[in-house]
Amino acid sequence: MLKEKLQSFFKIDRRWIFLVLAVVLFVPIMKPIGLPNKTISPTTQRVFEFIEKQPPGAFILFSLDYDPSTRPELHPMATALVKHAFKKNLRVGVVTYIAGSTGLIEEIFEKVPKEFNKTDGVDYVIFPYMPNILAAMTQMASDIYGIYTKDRNNKEIQSMPVMDGIRNYKNMSGVVCITGTAILDYWVAYVGDKYTVPVAGGVTAISQPGYGPYLQTGQLKGLIGGMKGAAEYESLIKQPGKGTSGIDALNLGHLLVLLLILTSNIILLIIKYL
Amino acid sequence: MFFGILTLFSYYVPHKMSVDYIETMNKWEQIVAAFAFLLGLLSLFLSHYHKITRKVDGWGYSIFVFIGFLAMIVPAFYSQGKQTTELGLTALGWSYRHIYTALAGTMFAVLAFYIVSTAYRSFRIKSTQAFVLFVAAFILILGKVPLGQIIWDSVLGWTGATVSEVIEWIMSVPAVAGKRGIMIGISIGAIVTSLKIIFGIEKQYLGKD
Repeated sequence: MLKEKLQSFFKIDRRWIFLVLAVVLFVPIMKPIGLPNKTISPTTQRVFEFIEKQPPGAFILFSLDYDPSTRPELHPMATALVKHAFKKNLRVGVVTYIAGSTGLIEEIFEKVPKEFNKTDGVDYVIFPYMPNILAAMTQMASDIYGIYTKDRNNKEIQSMPVMDGIRNYKNMSGVVCITGTAILDYWVAYVGDKYTVPVAGGVTAISQPGYGPYLQTGQLKGLIGGMKGAAEYESLIKQPGKGTSGIDALNLGHLLVLLLILTSNIILLIIKYL
Repeated sequence: MFFGILTLFSYYVPHKMSVDYIETMNKWEQIVAAFAFLLGLLSLFLSHYHKITRKVDGWGYSIFVFIGFLAMIVPAFYSQGKQTTELGLTALGWSYRHIYTALAGTMFAVLAFYIVSTAYRSFRIKSTQAFVLFVAAFILILGKVPLGQIIWDSVLGWTGATVSEVIEWIMSVPAVAGKRGIMIGISIGAIVTSLKIIFGIEKQYLGKD
């Protein structure tokens, strides 16, 4: 009798689980719990220190390669990194190899430069989308103007003050790639290793463990992982944003997953020994 | 074979001639990529056009391929590819933000519901390996959020190890060991396949056995 009752738990309509998850995610978004993020991952700290130690006027190339599907995790970290670069008065160049990310880049540069009084073409430049990533990466090693002649608004880039003295990777202080794809691997293999350019990254939480080998060998200067990483970076630059507010929903979502796995396995154990 | 070997050697030769050669090849690659994109688009349209005309199962979904394409391409031409101007969002910017972003976000968000449902229904600890996997996943999931860190500190604080330290060990020892093995295996496979293609041994990519 009890066995049958317990077995019925596995036949539960999955829409009930969907409903519980929806409530668990929706409530903290509407009414944040505001739990403090007590620790900073060493890899996030390393990205922060990498940007922090750059002298004013240094050129950092951002490769923002994510689309709306990974936006909740990656957009807050890209925003925080751009804010940090502007705070340090660094020159910012933005490239992308994902067509779907162009609008998200626009979103960042619609607001952030105004906060720091930065001007398009003087303090930052946004290059247009390029379809062939490896061709663009290798071309930028010798002459960036061989592949990028105009910015995303069709303005000549060579005469822009932001590009003063910039011809190839040797003139750049580093590359930061934020992506939910394998593009960070390309930056490490085809640019970081070959031309000894410091490369740092930001990736989704699910792909974070895969970058351990690069971090151990120093091929990656640092790595921001998932929404927690974004929240950590926001707390490092002391500008809480979407990463910090999103972590509340993640808190309860993660715990629900653990609770469900534990419950189903405990029920299974009881059924087995009944 | 000639171009394959030349491109391979150019990677290791930092001479002006080799740099010039790579630059020329890069330009050609961009041109070929543009044509490949066009070909892909035509192929996609033809495939869905045939589905609609032959009324195969689910042909109604194919109509949305054309609707989605038009919803983005028409504003893109109208806005001359620009998403914002001094006046604000262009038609393309509006389509991107209110159609593409919403649809792509929804598609990915739906996954979360299936993952949670599957975790309940299918994650069974039936062997030692499954138990090890569960323990590692449990610690990683717990340590990824502040609430999990608080729970760890109050329940397992007596161990003297914080959840962040345990995660750091998992990520830098067993996870790296596994990943490194996979990476070495994939790389050796990629090198062998590339050499077979360069020397004409592997022809399947050309549609030949």
